[in-house]
Amino acid sequence: MRDERGPWYLITGLVLGIALGLFYAWVVSPVEYVDTSPASLRADFKDQYRALIAAAYVADGNLARAQARLNLLADVDEARTLAEQAQRSLAEGGSRQAAQDLGLLAAAIGQGPTPLTTSSTAGEASPISTSTITSTPMTVSTESSLTPTSTTMPLATEVAPTKPVSTDQNAETTSIPSPSFVPLPTRTPTTTPEAPLVLQDRTFICDQKLNDPLIQVLAEDAAGKPVPSVEVVVNWEGGEDHFFTGLKPELGLGYADFTMTPGVEYTLRLAAGGQVISGLTAAECETQTGGRYWGSWQLVFSQP
Amino acid sequence: MGLCHNTQVMGRWFRFLFVLLVGLAAGLLYGWLINPVKYIDTTPDSLRADYKTDYVLMTAESYHDNGDLALAARRLALLGDSPPIDFVRQSMMYASQVGYAEADLNLLGELATDLQSWNPLQDVGSP
Repeated sequence: MRDERGPWYLITGLVLGIALGLFYAWVVSPVEYVDTSPASLRADFKDQYRALIAAAYVADGNLARAQARLNLLADVDEARTLAEQAQRSLAEGGSRQAAQDLGLLAAAIGQGPTPLTTSSTAGEASPISTSTITSTPMTVSTESSLTPTSTTMPLATEVAPTKPVSTDQNAETTSIPSPSFVPLPTRTPTTTPEAPLVLQDRTFICDQKLNDPLIQVLAEDAAGKPVPSVEVVVNWEGGEDHFFTGLKPELGLGYADFTMTPGVEYTLRLAAGGQVISGLTAAECETQTGGRYWGSWQLVFSQP
Repeated sequence: MGLCHNTQVMGRWFRFLFVLLVGLAAGLLYGWLINPVKYIDTTPDSLRADYKTDYVLMTAESYHDNGDLALAARRLALLGDSPPIDFVRQSMMYASQVGYAEADLNLLGELATDLQSWNPLQDVGSP
């Protein structure tokens, strides 16, 4: 009679055991991630981390270091992510400084290690400073002990606690007894005073590919190279907006645009100062077949 | 007869406890190794020490450039509930241990010094 019970009590025990095990593993004592990497951060914290990287980059001008830090976030397209965050930040009324920092870094990453150009202070027609960044290979150890085996590799790795790049611009590469010794992307500032940007060309363009009436701004240096992160101020009756060149890197690092509302007249100037361009309104163009579409204003600023 | 019955009962209990333990082990194996709780939306306070230190260093670099101590403190507040200066001190210790560059240590030191005398209420705007 007892044999008729069969193995059910064993199955009951097994199921009960599994349930208890899962309860303990998932609820009572789940796996704790106390040593996470920036790549696992929640999206909003990633944004803040990215903004801090950009702020630090603007502070020290060390592109290699900023690049290594960005690698930790594992963004697929870093320049685009930075630019999109800058645009989003502006659209949401966030800090203009933060947006500008993000734009600068996006532009620098898009360009590679080429001269860093920062826009001049608002309200002043001050010269644009240029810093040349040069990077050198870096060495990071793969062990956390004091006798590491060093291998040349990118800074952003998960293999060992990473140590950032030196900001000491005059420092030489020296091996120090530490878990990871440093790489020296060094910065050699070569500040060259240059003239402020001035309006060179104002053209009304008819381009059917543009769906909206735009004010397009192109900023170029004296050599005709695009200048990112130039702050542009647009005003209209009862309103003002600021935008920056380089936040749409796919359209050019010196490019920025603003969508006009038909019937509204706008004035535009660069935040760094200079000429005020007025009389910017949306106007229509006509196709050969009589179709109508919105035209755009194209304003080219360059250094004389 | 009674002894035999008791032995059978004991055996059954033993087997029951045995499979219970097997199930427990299987549950733990699955919950901890095969399909553990995944933390994909972590917060900065869970970052590894070296990342935290670099975060603090970035804050110090930015502070050195803009002098905005309130902004630096807000950034450090993301690392946890402790006073901001604690994070800077911890970072300085870590940075010293692993041999950060002198310039970086100086930046951290500058931020720590200024945070020591910082009064958060100073940065609260009056109505």
